[in-house]
Amino acid sequence: MKVVVCTKQTPSTTADLTVNPDGSVSWDDPGGKPNVVNPWDEYSIEEGIRLKENHGASDVIAITMGGDESQEALKTALAMGCTEAILLSDAAFTGADTLGTAKVLAAAINKVGDVQIAIFGKSAIDGDTGQTAVQTARKLGWTPLTFVSAITAVGDGQITVERLLDDGKETVTAPLPVVIGTVKEINEPRYPSFMGIRKASRATIPVWGAGDLGVDGVGSKVDWSKVYAPAPREGSVEIIEGDSAQEKAAKLVAKLFEEKVI
Amino acid sequence: MSGVWVFIENRDGEIAAIAKEALAAARTVADGLGETLTALVFGQDVAGVANAAFDLGADAVLGADDPSLAPFRVEAVGPLVVKLAQEREPAVIMAGASTRGRDLAAWVAADLEAGLVADGTDLAVDGGTVKVTRPVYASKLLATVFVTEGTQVITLRNRAFPQAESTGGSGSAEWVDTAVAESDIPTKVTGFAGKEGGVSLTDASIIVSGGRGVGGPEGFAPVRELAAVLGAAVGASRAAVDAGWIPYEHQVGQTGKTVSPDLYIASGISGAIQHQAGMRTSKVIVAINKDPEAPIFKLAQYGIVGDLFEVLPALTAEFKSKLS
Repeated sequence: MKVVVCTKQTPSTTADLTVNPDGSVSWDDPGGKPNVVNPWDEYSIEEGIRLKENHGASDVIAITMGGDESQEALKTALAMGCTEAILLSDAAFTGADTLGTAKVLAAAINKVGDVQIAIFGKSAIDGDTGQTAVQTARKLGWTPLTFVSAITAVGDGQITVERLLDDGKETVTAPLPVVIGTVKEINEPRYPSFMGIRKASRATIPVWGAGDLGVDGVGSKVDWSKVYAPAPREGSVEIIEGDSAQEKAAKLVAKLFEEKVI
Repeated sequence: MSGVWVFIENRDGEIAAIAKEALAAARTVADGLGETLTALVFGQDVAGVANAAFDLGADAVLGADDPSLAPFRVEAVGPLVVKLAQEREPAVIMAGASTRGRDLAAWVAADLEAGLVADGTDLAVDGGTVKVTRPVYASKLLATVFVTEGTQVITLRNRAFPQAESTGGSGSAEWVDTAVAESDIPTKVTGFAGKEGGVSLTDASIIVSGGRGVGGPEGFAPVRELAAVLGAAVGASRAAVDAGWIPYEHQVGQTGKTVSPDLYIASGISGAIQHQAGMRTSKVIVAINKDPEAPIFKLAQYGIVGDLFEVLPALTAEFKSKLS
């Protein structure tokens, strides 16, 4: 049984973002690495590795669609313990919407072959749509299981998971193959080991393009051209002064009632 | 293509709060486009839900009533919406961006080969197109996004739109058969544990949150007491969750929940950019922190510099006397 983890490279959570005059977005992170593996994907990478350690998966393959620079995200996945990494990169993939991305990922999962479980993070922190897992499942014809907070059993061609929904926790069983979307509660991601980082730094990551996948122009039906910085929150903070906590509390509560917040 | 469809998420005969928001937003879109608004009602024994959808402003209800549709499974509802959309070709399909609404929208858009815009926080009709404003890059930026051709599938962030209100409207629903027989649905739901008591973070109109400053699991006691008096949900920063003081389901921020209550009271939270990403759209923010330099004060309307273990109980007492 092979497991594929679908990852993405994103700006770091602390990156400063700039909208350029041409509408493109660039970023820098003076205090750290500007590009990281999407933070939500750390949980899906960890869960993929655990499927190998605890449920007998033979291979855990990380895939990413993106430019050459996305090799960094894949190296993080390798350093954590994925057995293989593949970059899906082609000028034809540029500007794909979630559906276009799903088609590329589904074609790659089919090309890997013998995959029983594909795992996604909850969403990518840049586009933040959180729709690609289900759409990839549809393009594969597999069952999507999203918001998974625990994989409780894998075996006999079936998987049982717990899903963290808005109003409670649902236990679901489905036949393999499945596409899983994870939430943070599922595990505590490990740090890459020293050996893992060394191995990853020497790894050569294969690149699959549109021709390898048999995907022609993926296109987009969504116009994303207008990105801008939000207006700053108006006004500045009013610090409530007083001689005691009681006095400050009374003044604040009076203001909240006055402005009909309560 | 014509008509606006809106998914009416329901459970135990009740329309979900987020579906009432979606219904109101879809009503304005339908009016802007000059189209009829059809509510999609699926479940078991949902005649009452259909009537409620008419009352909340739907022009028509298209539904299916079958045991296989409750509880909601996207493998049952998804193919049915796809089949209906292929037959009737709606211009717009909308849903609240709840866990179920997200799954359904992604499924339907994939099978219809339609464009999908997720998590809208504002809408404008421009000709035949719905222009959707949505936060991107963890709410650091905004984007105005739209579908360029075919059916427009749109989900809406919770609490970004007011809920639909009673109009006194009524009508008779059109009921159709399911698309997939129970034996052909791959997933079986074998258990469900509803949230115990308390108010859900994403639905709450008031949230009281605690961070590193609460100092330990017992430090959440004054946070909970204030929340109880206000009928509020309890939130937490990542620092408090990672320390194991409170379960993850309470986490607000980039790797937790995104909330936009009417009032957000942050106590002992410094206000790291990752936390701000989850709560910056709150209408009024109150910050309570010992450190007057804490970044949370830059975001807040009102601040109290002081010890949360003195300020929170004082607030609880004050609200108690004002609200009783």
